[in-house]
Amino acid sequence: MKQTTMKTILLCTAFCMSMSGMAQEQNDSVLTFDQNLGQNRNFSGNAETIDESQMNNKDQVTNALDAIRGRVAGLTVERNGLNAMNAVRLRGTTSLTGGNDPLIMIDGVLGDLSLLESIFPSDIESFTILKDASETSQFGSRGASGVIIITTQRGTPGKLRVNYNSSFSISNVYKRYDMLSADGYRDYARKNGIKIVDLGHSTNFQKAIEQTGLSMQHHLAFQGGTEQSNYRVAVGYSTEKLVVKNNSDRTLQSNMNMTQMLFNGFLKVELGMFASRQDLKSLPDVQGILYSAACLNPTFPAGANPDGSYPGYASASQIGNPYAHLQKKNDDENSHISTHARLTFNITKDLKFLLFGSYTHNIAEKSQYFPTFVWNRGQAYKETNKRQMLMGDAVINWDKKFNKHLVSLLGLAEIQKKVYDGYHVTVTNFSTNETGYNDLSAGALRPWDGTGSIYEDPRMVSYMVRANYTFDDKYMFKASARADGSSKFGDNHKWGFFPSVSGTWVISKEPFMRNVKAIDELKINVGYGLSGNQDGIDSYTSIATMKPNGFVPAGAGNLVSFSQLKNANPELKWEVSSTFNMGIDAKLLHGRLFFSLNYYNTQVHDMLYPYNVSVPPFTYNILVANIGSMSNRGLEISVGAVPLATKDMQLSINANVSFQGNKLKSLSGDFQGIRLEAPDYIPVATLNGAGMHGGNNNVTYQIVGQSLGSFYLPQSTGLQVAPDGSKYYGIRNLNGGDISLEDSEDRYIAGQAMPKVLLGSNISFRYKDFDISIQANGAFGHKIYNGTSLTYMNTSSFPLYNIFTKAVEENIKDQTATDYWLEKGDYVNIDYITVGWKVPIKQNRFVESLRLSCSMNNVATFTSYSGLTPMINSSSLGKTLGLDDKRSFPLYHSYTLGISIGF
Amino acid sequence: MKRTIYFLIAATVLMLMSCKDFLEEKQRDALTEDKAFQSMNDLKNNAVLSLYNYIGGNSDSQGLQGTGRGVYDLNTMTTDEAITPTRGGDWYDGGFWQDLFLHTWGSSNTALENTWNYLFKVVMLCNSSLERIDAYPNPEHLYDETMLDNYRAEVRAVRAMFYFYLMDLFGRVPIVTTNDVNSSELTLANRSQVYQFIVKELQETRLYLPWDRSNYNGENYGRVTIPVANFLLAKLMLNAEIYSDDNWTDDIYPDGKTITFNVLGTTMNAWEACQFYCNTFKDFEYVLEESLAENFTTTNEKSRENIFTIPMDPNLYSNRFIYFFRSRNCCHGSALGGGSENGPCATIETLRAFKYGKPDQDTRFDITFYADTIYENGEVVLMDDKVTPLVYYPWEVKLNLTGSPYVELAGARFHKYAPDPNANADGRACHNDIVLFRYADVLLMMAEAKLRNGEDGTAELNLVRRRSLMTDTVATLETILNERHLELAWEGWRRNDLIRFRQFTRSYTDRPQLPGEENGYTTVFPIPSSMIDFHPSWKQNPGYE
Repeated sequence: MKQTTMKTILLCTAFCMSMSGMAQEQNDSVLTFDQNLGQNRNFSGNAETIDESQMNNKDQVTNALDAIRGRVAGLTVERNGLNAMNAVRLRGTTSLTGGNDPLIMIDGVLGDLSLLESIFPSDIESFTILKDASETSQFGSRGASGVIIITTQRGTPGKLRVNYNSSFSISNVYKRYDMLSADGYRDYARKNGIKIVDLGHSTNFQKAIEQTGLSMQHHLAFQGGTEQSNYRVAVGYSTEKLVVKNNSDRTLQSNMNMTQMLFNGFLKVELGMFASRQDLKSLPDVQGILYSAACLNPTFPAGANPDGSYPGYASASQIGNPYAHLQKKNDDENSHISTHARLTFNITKDLKFLLFGSYTHNIAEKSQYFPTFVWNRGQAYKETNKRQMLMGDAVINWDKKFNKHLVSLLGLAEIQKKVYDGYHVTVTNFSTNETGYNDLSAGALRPWDGTGSIYEDPRMVSYMVRANYTFDDKYMFKASARADGSSKFGDNHKWGFFPSVSGTWVISKEPFMRNVKAIDELKINVGYGLSGNQDGIDSYTSIATMKPNGFVPAGAGNLVSFSQLKNANPELKWEVSSTFNMGIDAKLLHGRLFFSLNYYNTQVHDMLYPYNVSVPPFTYNILVANIGSMSNRGLEISVGAVPLATKDMQLSINANVSFQGNKLKSLSGDFQGIRLEAPDYIPVATLNGAGMHGGNNNVTYQIVGQSLGSFYLPQSTGLQVAPDGSKYYGIRNLNGGDISLEDSEDRYIAGQAMPKVLLGSNISFRYKDFDISIQANGAFGHKIYNGTSLTYMNTSSFPLYNIFTKAVEENIKDQTATDYWLEKGDYVNIDYITVGWKVPIKQNRFVESLRLSCSMNNVATFTSYSGLTPMINSSSLGKTLGLDDKRSFPLYHSYTLGISIGF
Repeated sequence: MKRTIYFLIAATVLMLMSCKDFLEEKQRDALTEDKAFQSMNDLKNNAVLSLYNYIGGNSDSQGLQGTGRGVYDLNTMTTDEAITPTRGGDWYDGGFWQDLFLHTWGSSNTALENTWNYLFKVVMLCNSSLERIDAYPNPEHLYDETMLDNYRAEVRAVRAMFYFYLMDLFGRVPIVTTNDVNSSELTLANRSQVYQFIVKELQETRLYLPWDRSNYNGENYGRVTIPVANFLLAKLMLNAEIYSDDNWTDDIYPDGKTITFNVLGTTMNAWEACQFYCNTFKDFEYVLEESLAENFTTTNEKSRENIFTIPMDPNLYSNRFIYFFRSRNCCHGSALGGGSENGPCATIETLRAFKYGKPDQDTRFDITFYADTIYENGEVVLMDDKVTPLVYYPWEVKLNLTGSPYVELAGARFHKYAPDPNANADGRACHNDIVLFRYADVLLMMAEAKLRNGEDGTAELNLVRRRSLMTDTVATLETILNERHLELAWEGWRRNDLIRFRQFTRSYTDRPQLPGEENGYTTVFPIPSSMIDFHPSWKQNPGYE
């Protein structure tokens, strides 16, 4: 049966693809419907659209999300200085296991963050961000964490057009850690009678790993067409080199969209294809190299020894020579291809039928080589992972307008199959470093556990019905019911039912409002809906299986034996979140003032989580189950004003503020009569470095009753002076008895890692052909643990590990993690200032438009935080949440020049 | 055209109707349980031999030896035998090592919890294996039922071994012999109950085990065979006074002479039973190797002295042996072609026991430790500056070396095992099998059991001493404990020995006795606090409430 089904999908897809005719119009099937039907206002929830004109810096950035960062209330985009996007969150974290990334839909095709990364901002026509349950529920479980819909540019009827965009940017480091120089290092050693290894040099290893960042991009787009058919084809190429060596990226991409009308408008065919290829070089261990560069003995020489080896600091086990570290290779190649086709049958004036099929194929290859001088006997690692996804939709829609009534009914059926497969191999014992990972046979040893492969094929089936009713463009109601089936759950729990309702009242249309001239539009909307989440768990969590657990030494030949490697949970089911939301939107003073206010409250139940269980009776201490609950609440305010608007001048100010609160309500309950309980204090982020392994070095925790990511630390009584004159962190005895730093002993909840308030603002001013725009973002109400200062201020790690210049005076000989280094994380950051000039050109045969721009990125940060930057991971639950621990890139400014020509 | 549309609609609906199978999971990269036990060979491989992959380990707290923060460290770093000093910025690790050395571990110590989980994981896997063996259909009695009996016996013996470690560390643990148990019905059995259970299991199963040595390459390599079970039984008998005592903080112990066991129909007291099991080793031609070092070479699977080992091979097994790696100085590691962590070293008490630096220094010191100027492959090992020779200063060791001029170099480092030039992963994946039980220990147990029973154990004691060219001595409790310190240094028995000799809680260099510790509460670790959270009716061990 499975095969038949597969064939049907394939046929369906093939059929869709093979239809001649072309061009692409809008995005998702459901949304397309709404938009095709002119029902944009029938979004009774909260949908924010940001179009080209609002992406002020889009010809300046290489990353699509950078173009809208700070523009949407509740959207956080976090980057770690590398090209990869660390985390994108809409309205915070809603699940503990994962599936927190918002759904990315690119022209109706399911994408992910890595795909979004490879899309050129110039190719994007608009972003639509859906946050409310009534809107996201149309996307089922995949939309549980919000939806970002990207519509790429399409051909427009009429004239043929060619656009060329190009930018060039240069980045320069302006701030790094202030460590003891070689002279300072010698001085300190002499004054304190410490024996050091002095190789007579004076090297700043931090500078040694830096370089001037350079990036450029070229983008060329062709478009044209008629009312019956149109097309757009674009190609782009970009390269980027970051300010720390060995971080570079090269992307080649092409995007094609076509639309064609057939049979007198009865059938519209849209076809699109997207392909990209990315070559990425990055540091395999960011903290490792930054820690080494800061702390290696500065009297060591720059570069290699004459014999090719690197002077290490062998006694300091946690750091190595940064030059040697830079010889590690960590290369990724990502290829992505996706095609989609959409057939819209206009059966009657009121009835439409739509078929949509898409296929995406992703190949990610990772190749690593650690040379013999940084890794015992060298090590090569290669990994290939393929992800394929097939998706098919069938939608039927009927709508009818009579008098003041507009009714619309929609039915949808959807099927989705993913296949993940991949393998990896590790080889070690190399006699030469020359061939690296390109010749795995140059390594003599392939350890048994260094090789493996995976195969996973999660599937989903969904049905949805939805009804819309609008009266007089004044009152709108929407109700939808969706059933999602996922293969990941237990036999009797595969299906989840997720309804939603919403309503909108356009007050400004009421007769009593007619006389209020100042208000252009005023509406209120309210919605409630459920959605499921299953993204965070792996396939096969609900079934008991046996996997290889090793070689058996006994007997004549070695055989691989099998064993149970996890607890299975056949009762696994959907994680459900229910969201209530309410909003007010207003347009005032003839379009000069916009205002919107939204409130949401999401309750997550049956939360999927790897719970700790008792061994015995379980074999393993982790069971993935549905027990706990969590809540997310927030208020989002967006204000836009155009205080000045004349023919020659326009000033617009946009700002959004979101207040967000999160509470982990419960992580315990009964599972088949067995008490499941998560520990009271679950460590999330832990300090890492010399002398910080294990022990009481956890900083950020997950604690029931608290916000996700709470700091739970011993309370410091400040610096105390030891008999030898050095200082240590005094610790307050909080619960009587002896002082103990263990969990539930002398520790307290000292603050939260995730901001309570997020701010985004943009000011743009146009004078004639010139425009200037400033983007500022901020975050408030959270704290940051300054683990870097804790480590680098500890003079007892001298001389094996270099220390801060200011550590000499402070004379701290302690690295106990207390709240001493917990600091306020509030900041305001000016992301960029862009100046553009739309060059007035006389009509000529060739150039139609020309725009020049220049901008400065990472302009300035205002903060009281004492570390290098407060912009660390403050949003995603993981090993670095709220912890600044020796892995911040040096600070740099970027300057970009851009040109955009239309022909 | 309309017909086409209706057809498409119908096709879509039909396609989606058939989704029951579509949503069913069939994992391709794993076996379902029934596929893993189809033949007698499968049963042997996946129900019996599979368990041996858990004797060693490759991550913290996994494996009986070879790894850190697990059974071995709890038995070694907590004693006067080994110390992991804080070295400036390194090895403080949030006080973890100091807590072990000072006996200030708490019930939420993660190493304790992880060790509990590891040991019980194997117990539960053994229970699963027993269920699989019981469920094996054996169609038309194709196979001799005795084969199934043998498998059952072997799995029970492995389980008993893991219970031995559980009882030794935690005292009171639940006795679980099936996977079909309700969490709420689990209770902590008293130490003596667990003790009797282990003895019974081993006595009942041992004669069904392979009549073969376990440490040699071949059919029974690394398996629990009769000598392995006998060794465990001897150990259990020798510690009878401790293990039979349910109230270990009252300073009253039962007398080993009055604790009796039924051994093959004969009633014996604990010391006699211990001797009985020690005597069985004669049947298997165990002898002391000419040199202590021969038991720890890269080809030590040929040792005639080793009884139970964790087979090692960098190519085949993922088991790791980190004790070298973490102990020696990093320059020392580089000289041998790998990294190192410059950590644990010998205590002052160990140096005194070996009479380090004295004219009558024990010959085993140089085999067991690295000290003074270090030579490898005939060349002196140099420090970072490539001029200064690497010198270890054994007497400079302190619990906290921060600020000491010898912060990097204090302490004699662990040797015993021969460095493997073909090792991988910084020496952690080597060919030297990790020795868990060996015959010298049997002789010393014999000597002790005799002595405790009022007989003379001098002969056995001196057999061990003479092998290392040491002068004869007379067996007393003191000389036997001292000999065990010398002969079995860093082999994972020190805590067990000190508790039996009632010396575990005494104070020694850098370790003052804890307030209240004289009652012996630290001789048993606390039940991990997470277990108490899961089972509110469980009572914490005394001293940790």
